[in-house]
Amino acid sequence: MLNRMKLKNLLTTSFALALLAGAVSAANWTAGMTEGKVALKSAGPITFGPDGILFVADTKAAAIIAIATGDTQAGAAKTFKIEGINQKIAALLGTAADQILIDDLAVNPVSHAAYLAVTRGRGAGATPVLVRVKGDGQPEVVSLDKLKHARAELPDAPVEGVQGEGKKQSNPRQESITDLAFFQDRLLVAGLSNEEFSSALRAIPFPFQKVVNGTSVEIYHGAHGKFETRSPIRTFVPFMVGNEPQLLAAYTCTPLVQFPLSDIKPAAKIKGKTIAELGNRNRPLDMIVYHKDGKDWLLLANNSRGVMKIATDHIAGADAITAPVGGGGTQGLKYETIESWKGIEQLDKLDDAHALVLRRGEAGALHLESLPLP
Amino acid sequence: MSEGRGIFWGKSWRPAFAGLLFVCSIGVEAADSNSSAPPFAAVFLRWVSVPKETNRVTLEVSGLGADTLATLQSTNWPAANWPRLLSVFVEQPGIEPLPMIGTHRVENAQLRFTPAFPLEPGLRYRAVFDAGQLPRAATTTAGKLTTTLTVPARPERTTTTVTQVYPSADVLPENLLKFYLHFSAPMSRGSIYEHIRLLNEANQPVELPFLELAEELWSADRMRLTLFIDPGRIKREVKPLEEIGPTLQAGKRFTLVIGRGWKDAEGNRLKDSFTKRFFVGPPDREPPDPQRWSYQAPPIRTREPLAVDMAKPMDAALAVRMIHVLDATGRAVAGQALLMERERVWKFLPQQVWKPGRYTLVVETAIEDLAGNNIGKAFEVELNEGAPRRLEQSTVRLPFELR
Repeated sequence: MLNRMKLKNLLTTSFALALLAGAVSAANWTAGMTEGKVALKSAGPITFGPDGILFVADTKAAAIIAIATGDTQAGAAKTFKIEGINQKIAALLGTAADQILIDDLAVNPVSHAAYLAVTRGRGAGATPVLVRVKGDGQPEVVSLDKLKHARAELPDAPVEGVQGEGKKQSNPRQESITDLAFFQDRLLVAGLSNEEFSSALRAIPFPFQKVVNGTSVEIYHGAHGKFETRSPIRTFVPFMVGNEPQLLAAYTCTPLVQFPLSDIKPAAKIKGKTIAELGNRNRPLDMIVYHKDGKDWLLLANNSRGVMKIATDHIAGADAITAPVGGGGTQGLKYETIESWKGIEQLDKLDDAHALVLRRGEAGALHLESLPLP
Repeated sequence: MSEGRGIFWGKSWRPAFAGLLFVCSIGVEAADSNSSAPPFAAVFLRWVSVPKETNRVTLEVSGLGADTLATLQSTNWPAANWPRLLSVFVEQPGIEPLPMIGTHRVENAQLRFTPAFPLEPGLRYRAVFDAGQLPRAATTTAGKLTTTLTVPARPERTTTTVTQVYPSADVLPENLLKFYLHFSAPMSRGSIYEHIRLLNEANQPVELPFLELAEELWSADRMRLTLFIDPGRIKREVKPLEEIGPTLQAGKRFTLVIGRGWKDAEGNRLKDSFTKRFFVGPPDREPPDPQRWSYQAPPIRTREPLAVDMAKPMDAALAVRMIHVLDATGRAVAGQALLMERERVWKFLPQQVWKPGRYTLVVETAIEDLAGNNIGKAFEVELNEGAPRRLEQSTVRLPFELR
């Protein structure tokens, strides 16, 4: 789930770069889209691109759907706290709160409305629903009946040298999308297979043409003195280091790894540079970038500890961690744990000064609230 | 139902719901009696089941005047007004009622509202028609009709079971990477990890043994769950392993427990809890090597299985998916793969009889053993000696001949 639009303050930079590169102009983002009912089998991670275009990962259908929400009116962000957002959504959808799963949260950087990827029901009849919360704090269901949209399928890579339909049995392999981010003119997609333990990272040009194969990204773990392993990416953000766009990725056992975006090409093998080791009992869930006090910061939400605030000003010169980190010490980038941000399940940037979070309260209630960026 | 109120109501419930019993009550909450010439004589509010769809309903308001209906149908009637006029609410104590989303329309001289979703068993719903919200209502009449409906809870049928857990062996390597849990029916999603525990020899739960992923790695039919052991508790020289130790420890016994509170896709708990007891052996850091595999050739002109002994147990899902038999023309032979001998032996049952000739066994190098080692590359690669070994090819080919 947790993942999100990581455009954020990169948006300005990316647009500038896009213009410099003579890339797709804003008017063309909906080129090739068809208007009609958006069919979703599931709604996993979501993230915003330009012009109110929402990318929805439909894991069940092995596809990414780009939806022109039409939510393109610029608006100032409003701070709010909605107690029991899951109960309110349950009421709208005519069910009980325990039948509501909120799989992701994304803020439209243009209108500052919050979008939630919701599933109504946990069983066979589970239905994906998009919910929008505007500044008035009232959740509303986004009608998918008549919207411009485009679809990118994520096919399994073919097996080299094997032709024909060999085995007739159904294939239980499925790829879960763990994170999405739009950068410049590409949608970056991190996936996790329910069979092989590997990391697939795809860069899909947008507007969609055809899907490229997953780029396999290799990781060298910081606290590993001697060993290199593979591991799936949990969450990532595009980030400019100097003039070069980089990806900062958090892995399932919490090293923070950096690699150049330009390396993400079909079938490439990339070795990321581990720049921080973030310790145990600390599964990364979500990450955003923001600017405060003249610096860029990373905010990393974890499943059981508070949120980590990580300074990025040393990323450009950071050495790769190649020796074991002894005695439980930390190495690489310094970070501060924001203890008060407990129970955060989803995170996105609301505006330059606020984050929007989904926080787990008592008795299973989920609260949607804006918090000043630390 | 006194005269002059403008609204009359009647027993509107037609017990025509297939498979449903509803409790229905109707009452006027407010009424204005000083109306003159109401635009309708009597208004009825009733639930009607949508044919052939379980728990789908439409709410019908009949008895409205033709002029009123025409106004409602006109483009001048703002869509935002609909929920105030006719809505359905879930009744739950302590939760602010919000109108359910759905579609309002005028047809067959009736005002209708169809909720976007079926009603849920066990919940109580309240429908409200507020005549005060009708066009020109202020000068005519005001009053609310409400009717409630309780959808009976589904009786629990606890029939779903855990049918298999892979790896099926009783001795597992210390650096085991994953389990596959198979169920007899599709399961529900959400908060699954609270139902899975790993107990040590003292029957105490191991702390955070698994990689808890919100994505919940289900197969498409939701009958198989992939459960990764937290890789931070497997990989050497990483903090989680150093600070809280490995999930599994060689020489000790462990028990995987699946609690029966886990619900299937129909909302029923499991028939029974499930336990898998196993002994932990030393870590396996040897990549699988197909050159050491042996095979038993089937007789030609039969559909006997081709059997390949893979020298050690392999990942159950990947072994079935990543081994292929090609004929002399390079086309995949149609058939079914299955695993025997605790996932150490791969068997292939062809659809057609074997013909004499040359064949190739193609094994994808991404295949994994129980510890996630791939062909040509261990799960962890030592870096001491310069660049790590890399196997560039994606498949290994093992030719054989049937005569």
